[in-house]
Formats: sequence, C-alpha cells, structure tokens
Amino acid sequence: MNSIEVHDLTKQFGAFTAVNHISFEVREGEIFGFLGANGAGKTTAIKMMSGLLQPTSGTAIIAGYDVRTQSKLIKRNIGYMSQRFSLYNDLTVFENMQLFGTIYKIPRKELKERIHTSLKELDMDQHANTLVEAIPLGWKQKLAFATAILHRPKIVFLDEPTSGVDPIVRREFWKLIYDTASTGVTILVTTHYMDEAEYCNRISIMAEGELKLIGTPDELKKKMAATTINDVFVKFVRR
Amino acid sequence: MILRKEFIHIFRDKITLFLVLAMPIALVLLFGFTISSDIRNAKISVLDQANDSQSKKLIEKITASGYFQVVSYPNNEVEIDDDFKSKNIKLAIIIPARFEESLSNEHEASLQVINDVSDLNVASVLNNYVRAVVHSFTEEYNSKTGETTPFDITTKMLYNPEMNSVYMFVPGIITLIMILVTALLTSITLAREKETGTMRMLLITPVKKIHIVLGKVIPYMIISFISTIIILVLSVFVFKMPINGSIPFLLFLCIIFMLTAASFGMLISSISSTQLDAMMITMMGLFLPTVLLSGFLFPLNSMPMVFQVLANVFPAKWFILAIKDVMIKGAGFFDIWKYLLILFAMAVVFISFSLMRLDKRN
Repeated sequence: MNSIEVHDLTKQFGAFTAVNHISFEVREGEIFGFLGANGAGKTTAIKMMSGLLQPTSGTAIIAGYDVRTQSKLIKRNIGYMSQRFSLYNDLTVFENMQLFGTIYKIPRKELKERIHTSLKELDMDQHANTLVEAIPLGWKQKLAFATAILHRPKIVFLDEPTSGVDPIVRREFWKLIYDTASTGVTILVTTHYMDEAEYCNRISIMAEGELKLIGTPDELKKKMAATTINDVFVKFVRR
Repeated sequence: MILRKEFIHIFRDKITLFLVLAMPIALVLLFGFTISSDIRNAKISVLDQANDSQSKKLIEKITASGYFQVVSYPNNEVEIDDDFKSKNIKLAIIIPARFEESLSNEHEASLQVINDVSDLNVASVLNNYVRAVVHSFTEEYNSKTGETTPFDITTKMLYNPEMNSVYMFVPGIITLIMILVTALLTSITLAREKETGTMRMLLITPVKKIHIVLGKVIPYMIISFISTIIILVLSVFVFKMPINGSIPFLLFLCIIFMLTAASFGMLISSISSTQLDAMMITMMGLFLPTVLLSGFLFPLNSMPMVFQVLANVFPAKWFILAIKDVMIKGAGFFDIWKYLLILFAMAVVFISFSLMRLDKRN
C-alpha cells in the first residue's frame, strides 16, 4: 500500500516555480531519501505534503488523505522534525515531550508511559528532568525524533535530521530510523550526506523544482555508471 | 497546553519576570518622587505696598497654600532683585498700594508677579499656583461682599485644580508598562518561536493557529494586568491619585487596551523574523511613538498637524484619553465608548492581519 501518492504536484510563488509537476509514490514502511541541492524545492514539497502549504496544482494523498481538503487529518497522522533542532531549550526533556504529546491529545497516563518507554529506548531516562539546553546536540536530535513519533504517526518527515552531528551519532540515528520503519512507519528524509542516501530504500534527486531521478540506490548507480551515490550526484550535477 | 508551556518559560526566566513586576513599581516611584513637577515650599518674596487688611489676607492665603514659603518681605523693588540673587527665591509678588480700596471701589485690582524663568518648568508651575491661590482668594472675597469679579482672572482649572502632575503621569505609566510588557514581550516571544524553528513544529501539529497565538499572549496579558494593578494601588495610596470612575470599568478598559497592545505585538512579530528585529521594531515603532505622540509627556495640540494625525494610528493616545476620563472625571461606558471601540477595532484588525501573515510565512 502506498502511504504517499504525489501526482503532478506544483507550487508557484508569483512567476517563480518552486516545485514543478513532481510525481512519485512511497510505500508503507519505506525509507525514502529526498535529495537535492539547496533551493531545489525539497522544503516546499515537504511543506505541501505536510499540509502547511496549499499546492498551486496537482494532488498529493498523504496517509490516505488529500492535502487540499483534509490537511487537519494529515497533521494528525504525520510527524515532523526539522533541520534545525527545534525543541524548547528552557523546558526539560520530559516537558518537551509532554507538550507535543498533549497537543496530539494523547491521554495523560498513556502519554506518561510512552515518554518513559521512549526515553528508556534512547537510554536517556535519567535525564527526563534535565533542561534540553544542557544536553549534547546528538542527544537533542534523537530526542527530537522520539518526540516526533510519540503520537505514532503513519509518516515521518525528517528535514536534514543529522546535520551537524558526529558520525557515531549519525549511525545511531539511522538505527532509530530503521527501527521505526520496521514497525510500518513511512520515513521521508532529506539529507546532505550522500553516504546516508545509501541507507535509504529508494531515493529521488530534485533540481530546479523538478524530480530528475528516482529509484533504489543500486538502480541509480547502475544508470549513471557510478560506484557511490556521491558519484551519482556529482555526475548528475555536471550533466 | 501552550499556555502552560509559556508560563513555564516565564517562570524559568526569573530575570525577566522580576524586571516585569519590579519595573512598574520603580517607574511609578521614580516619576512620582523625582520627575514630579509638583513644587512645595518654593521660596518667595512679597512686597506688600498696600499693607491693608485684604493684602494681609492674601499673603496669609499664599502662605497657607503650602506651595510657598515667604522668606522675605522686601521694602522696595530693588530689594526684590537682591532676593532673587542672594536668597534664591523663585518668585516675587508685588501687591500694589491701595489694594483694598481698589478692590471695593473700582471692582478691579492687580497684582504683579515676578518670575525666575531660568527654569521654565518651575516658573510656569509656580505661576499657575499663584493663579490658583488668587482665584480662591477672589471667590472668598466675592462670596463675602456679594460683588462681582474684582480680579480679571478668567482661567478655570477643572478636575486638577492643584495641577497635580500625578494625574498626568499615572495614566501615562500604565500605558507605557502595558505597551512594554504586553506588546514587547508578545512580539519577542512569538519571534523567538520563529527564530528557533519551534513555530514550524507547532504549525505542523493539528493545534489551531489561534490557540498557538492565544496560548502565547494570555500569560503576558495576565502579567501586565498584575503590573497595572500594582501601579494603580501605588498611585492611590502613595500619591493620592483619585479614581473617580468605577474600578471594574477601569480594569475592563485596561484589558481592552492590553488586547490592543498584544495585537500590536503580534503584528510586529509577524513582520520580523528574529527576536532582535522584534525588539527594535517595538522600541522604535511603538514605544517611542507612545512616549512622544500619546499626549503623555508632550501636549498633542501644540504639535505640527502631521504628528497630530499620526498620533491617531497609535493605540496609546486613545487609551490615555479614555483612562484619564475614567480615573479623573469618573466617566462611564457611554462617555468613552468611542475610544473603546477604536481600541477594539485596532485589535481585531491587527490580530487578523498577523494570523494571515503567520500562514504565509511558515
């Protein structure tokens, strides 16, 4: 079953076309890499898919709901974590998770249990009452991810989730992503790190608002006669 | 829940909280005791050339008023000059000869007042005190003799016969505090969410935009309301400022103004993307015009037409007009509904505009 179905999705800002007729599908439980240089239109596409921005034309069905008419239902069923760390620094770890959990109307007792379970998985349960500003960046990113999936969304959008963290934390982070995907959650991730793209089930490359390439990492490597995704990207840009 | 979170933010940030609550107290006391233009026991000289019963009565009245302290009774005008230089008097009054006679026969009498205008403010305040005292002297004389106006003083001082400056600065300070606390903090807190990216996080959740904004604004309105009450209590008990209107209505008026101030803060945060932007725009675009154009420190009708028109755009002017009417004249809803309506309309326009912007920006 497809959890994301995008067809001819377009967004124009005045005369500028940020996203130009892109179409793709993402299966349930798939990890889908969304690559492209800055300004290629990735963020605008994600905004449209998460119900923040109305498309100019085209359709997007997210978790079975139409972005044009059912954005409220979409918001309930997606999680989001942005490139910049975006939890509140002056709230504690627990308070941050509690805030977002309450926004998604998770019952109080249930929420408490979920927070404790998820902190235990992250090995952070002894830091529940620490202010977020006091914990290292790598932990913050993992915490932000845990917060984004607290309400058990069907799809999680990760917008450069690992930018600025060291390789060890990045590997740990990707383990989290795999674990989450294995429970049937669809992951759409944007990244600058080409080695990370290899971890995805399928990837797409956007440029100038258009979706230029799409396929599994191996397919793309074969197609571009390259050995790594990095090569694919370099060759693609030179072309 | 956003409301709860915002309270946690506020209570964690102890310095801001302290500033916000201590500032009104400091401001009121500062204005009340130092910047106050009330003058007590100003040194004066009186040259009594008449030396009759009425002139003595007048001098008595001047002394009894509490504003003046007669430090010398010079014998001629030359000595007055010396008093200005050596005794540091602020003002001299010359009562002409045949004072009583002129009063009763010619229904007319004059006084000469000499001012030390090296300090313009002091001089004009003292001058007004003299007028007030002479005015009440005249009234007394009239009521006793049944005569008509022997003095040609037409100035009437309603509501604030003693020209108490407290009457002016309390409404002014309430306005400033509410603008500072509500508008400034609202604009900063909203801009901070944008700056740190948490606004995006909130917008992507199912929570309604209006709830986000209300949750962020209400805590600051509550704090600013507490500040307002502190100012009112201080001004009534320390500075004897009267509240002639109904107190619930006064508080209602304050809440409406807070709403307007908060909506102005939202408007500012919607056009700024960082906390620093928000702060600068609030200070330059709102705080400064509030101080200069609200009629609080500088009278509006003596300004060039452009500024008088410009003043209408800022909520402070309307609020000061309204709060003065309520506190001093005891006005009720039907006297000032126009001002309330203007403030409320401003709030509605600003809020809807900034909600629209919030949509577009994120």
